[in-house]
Amino acid sequence: MDLDSSKVSSTASHSLANQEDTLPTWWKRIFLATVLFCPPYLFWHYCGASGRTLAEQYDVALAANMKLQFGEIGELSLTEDNVIKYLYEDSWLKVGRAVFKSNCVSCHGSDGGGLVGPNLCDDSYKNVKQIGDILKVLQKGANGGAMPAWQSKLSPNEIVLVSSYVASLRGSNPSVAKPAEGREIDPWPSLPVVELSDESEEQQNESD
Amino acid sequence: MASGMNSGADLGVGISDCETDSLAPIDSYDYDDSIVRKFAGAMLLWGIVATLIGLGVAHLLVIPKMFGGSESLSFARLRPLHSSVALYAFLGNGVFAAIYYSLQRLCAVRIWSSVLAQLHFWSWQAIIVTAIWTLPKGFSQGRSSAELIQPINLAIVLVWILFFGVNYWMTLRRRRVQRIYVSLWFYTATLVTVPVLLTITNIVLPVSWVKSYPLLAGVHDAVVQWCYGQMSNYYLLLMPFLGMMYFFIPLFTGKPIHSHRLAVTHFWALAILILWTGPHHLNYTAAPEWLASVGMLAGLLMWMPLWGGLINGWKTLRSGEARFSDSLVYRFFACSLIFYGITTFESAVLSMKSVSALTQYSDWTIAHLHNGMMGWNGMLAFGIIYWLVPRLFNVNLWSQRAAAMHFWIALVGVLLSVIPLYLSGFTQSMMWNSLDELGNLGYPDFIESIEASRMMWWIRILGGLLYLVGLILMTANFALTWLFRVKESCSTLKDSVEDILLPDSSSSYQQSPASGPLDNVPVLDTARSLEKWSHLEWHRDWEFKPSRFVILPILGLLIVSVVQLMPVLFSRASVPKIASAKPYTPLELLGRELYLEQGCYQCHTQIVRPLVAETKRYGDYSRAGEFVYDFPPFWGKRRIGPDLAREGGNKQTSLWHWRHLDNPVSLVEGTVMPSYSHLLDAEIDFEKVTNAIRAAKLVGVAYDEEMEVYVQDARDQAERVAADIVSTGGSIQRGDVLTLESQGVALIAYLQRLGTDLNAPVTDGKEP
Repeated sequence: MDLDSSKVSSTASHSLANQEDTLPTWWKRIFLATVLFCPPYLFWHYCGASGRTLAEQYDVALAANMKLQFGEIGELSLTEDNVIKYLYEDSWLKVGRAVFKSNCVSCHGSDGGGLVGPNLCDDSYKNVKQIGDILKVLQKGANGGAMPAWQSKLSPNEIVLVSSYVASLRGSNPSVAKPAEGREIDPWPSLPVVELSDESEEQQNESD
Repeated sequence: MASGMNSGADLGVGISDCETDSLAPIDSYDYDDSIVRKFAGAMLLWGIVATLIGLGVAHLLVIPKMFGGSESLSFARLRPLHSSVALYAFLGNGVFAAIYYSLQRLCAVRIWSSVLAQLHFWSWQAIIVTAIWTLPKGFSQGRSSAELIQPINLAIVLVWILFFGVNYWMTLRRRRVQRIYVSLWFYTATLVTVPVLLTITNIVLPVSWVKSYPLLAGVHDAVVQWCYGQMSNYYLLLMPFLGMMYFFIPLFTGKPIHSHRLAVTHFWALAILILWTGPHHLNYTAAPEWLASVGMLAGLLMWMPLWGGLINGWKTLRSGEARFSDSLVYRFFACSLIFYGITTFESAVLSMKSVSALTQYSDWTIAHLHNGMMGWNGMLAFGIIYWLVPRLFNVNLWSQRAAAMHFWIALVGVLLSVIPLYLSGFTQSMMWNSLDELGNLGYPDFIESIEASRMMWWIRILGGLLYLVGLILMTANFALTWLFRVKESCSTLKDSVEDILLPDSSSSYQQSPASGPLDNVPVLDTARSLEKWSHLEWHRDWEFKPSRFVILPILGLLIVSVVQLMPVLFSRASVPKIASAKPYTPLELLGRELYLEQGCYQCHTQIVRPLVAETKRYGDYSRAGEFVYDFPPFWGKRRIGPDLAREGGNKQTSLWHWRHLDNPVSLVEGTVMPSYSHLLDAEIDFEKVTNAIRAAKLVGVAYDEEMEVYVQDARDQAERVAADIVSTGGSIQRGDVLTLESQGVALIAYLQRLGTDLNAPVTDGKEP
């Protein structure tokens, strides 16, 4: 009897706060889970182990990206031969194209037809007499700074590959073409025969 | 508290019929609803204005020449105006309407001073008009979420405290219902927190009525912008609206709130956590990483407290008899809650670092905001006003059919505004971050992401248009109802506010019950008190003490500031020094002013994040030390154009910039950037150098030479830039303006400086 009556009185006095007014279990559990997530997260990031801050993660990602992009060709030297070599390798021209699209289209047009900068698709060039000169123009700039120097902004590999890509534009048909400027020059040299055979031999060896 | 000892229940303020209740003095039921009518009407009218400006802004993205290239009506000038009007005028007026209505009823007393309320109303509208007058002129602080000039922001604070705050507080003090209801907790927390946040954001150095400089530069000011400025907006969009939901949904359904305990828990969790979330906006920026991490975790912790409001609102709405099919107000409330659920979940997800890496600076942010403001805030406010109309005017709504149409138009409007932006945001972030199998940028030309968004930008215009049509319908409906109102001193429609919301307001409620379920169980005393504590009985006492809801949120703000933000704001360690960083030259300072006035930062960010796809596109990522002379920094929120943090160093030639400012489309096919030829046609006022240098000296930048030296320096640099432009094929003169005196040259000088300090030689900052 006693027990019963105490029960009744207690529920009555708890009318609002106690009876059926409970927090949803799933709500409590998820809230608790988010709370429990915090300390390990902070510890993982800031316990002092290396490679866990954004800057460090970025360095790792950049290294991996460089390896993915250029692991196969290593660090290219800025030579005319390299420009010629990659002019005939479509997969690497694509890399050059990406560099061109990010950096050059605002002056030379999206397909090289020329805007502020000269048309790169015709046979006339202002500062280029042979294919290697493209490299020089890219590195040092030209026309009193109208063409900026890219030496410090692009990696050597990017400079070589974008040079090859620019060379490859010659003879293409841009949607908007600026009139020719400068002088007409000889066609680009084709790939030296010796190197070609070397290359193909190498490839054969690899496939064996 | 004159009538303090009478409990509300004894006074019979269940608000039955005023004629029958002859014992009570007539004034006790004569609430001041004229102020509610005014604020509600203003909300609708400003809602139309806000949506119209928004439509203009949306059009400028697809038809950049829409307004004939007018400087005042450019995207960058109208965009901040659109958000200010939507926030302060449309939703702000709605909040005040709802608070004036519910405060009086919850306190069972007429508003303390109707004069103050009227003053509040008219000064608030004046503030909005001033904003509309100043922003298109280019008067702006140029800081994110603190675009309005300092005097306007301070006026907001003053009006808020003197006209609204005092009145609110005095009404609360004279209340006849002693227990204060959930809504009042939310209102009170908002009442005290928003002005403090706004004030801190606006501690800036004024040099004239329309011009001021932040006292802190770079990272430090960014923290102020995002953790105080942005949070004041967020607070205003969240807390008072939850309070409104807790008042109007139970009254509409006629049932008490689903769970009082949940309300207590989630209110305090929100009040404590909300201000900690600010830094998550700074994920991946040059702000200290630990700060962003704390912000991110707070954002995650907020998820369930935010959804506490959703559960309570939804269950309360469902507990009544009204259903989607038969009740208009139900439809608005239900939709609002669904949008609330989506947008708050999204808030939690967006604060995650890996998610921000994708969504930051894309249309996603814009979609999220519109989801919240048009869906959650807007629909809730519409529902409330439709529910209020018969109570305010003593007649039924002029046209039920128009209102029913409004619901569907508004719903489709929100969806068509928001879904395309989610899609374009997703498209943009995918394109910006995509790397092909060789590790190259998948879409190296930025313009591709704009072209991919264009269709979506068209569709969302349709959404905005529908929302506008809905608003016009509602405003007309409201106005006609007002016209045919029945004037009576007291409304014939009475809601038993106290029976529904505060069934137990007696003073016995205040004391927690002496006995508990563990009383007769053999357990430790600690267990017993813990059990009691967990049932929140301590909170019963709090519900009779409004000061708790003032002091604790402020204390929370203080703790956040001291623990989280002060260490960043006042430590040099948070900004590793870069020796080669040098103050801007006088001409670059002038260019910076132009960048601010023209609002370039509305479409161009100035922060390269440490992500491979980003550094491949723009250059090395931004370091904290690079921004130490940026008063304020232009980090920005959105990229409609490419990031400009590494634009300098002749990445584009000065001639290219000149031609690009003149006619962007001629150089970048498909660009949505408007022409800035008016800058090329305007002359530099070299005397302004004096003001700029003086202000920079006041905020602590070392410019030690005589003033004439700086003026001459600016002229010399302008000449050099102009010579560069002319020697590469530009013209010497444009109309009557010499190139070397054109404002365009100052802006170009600034652009050419951007991001070059990082790799500059340390010894000498001066150009040869």
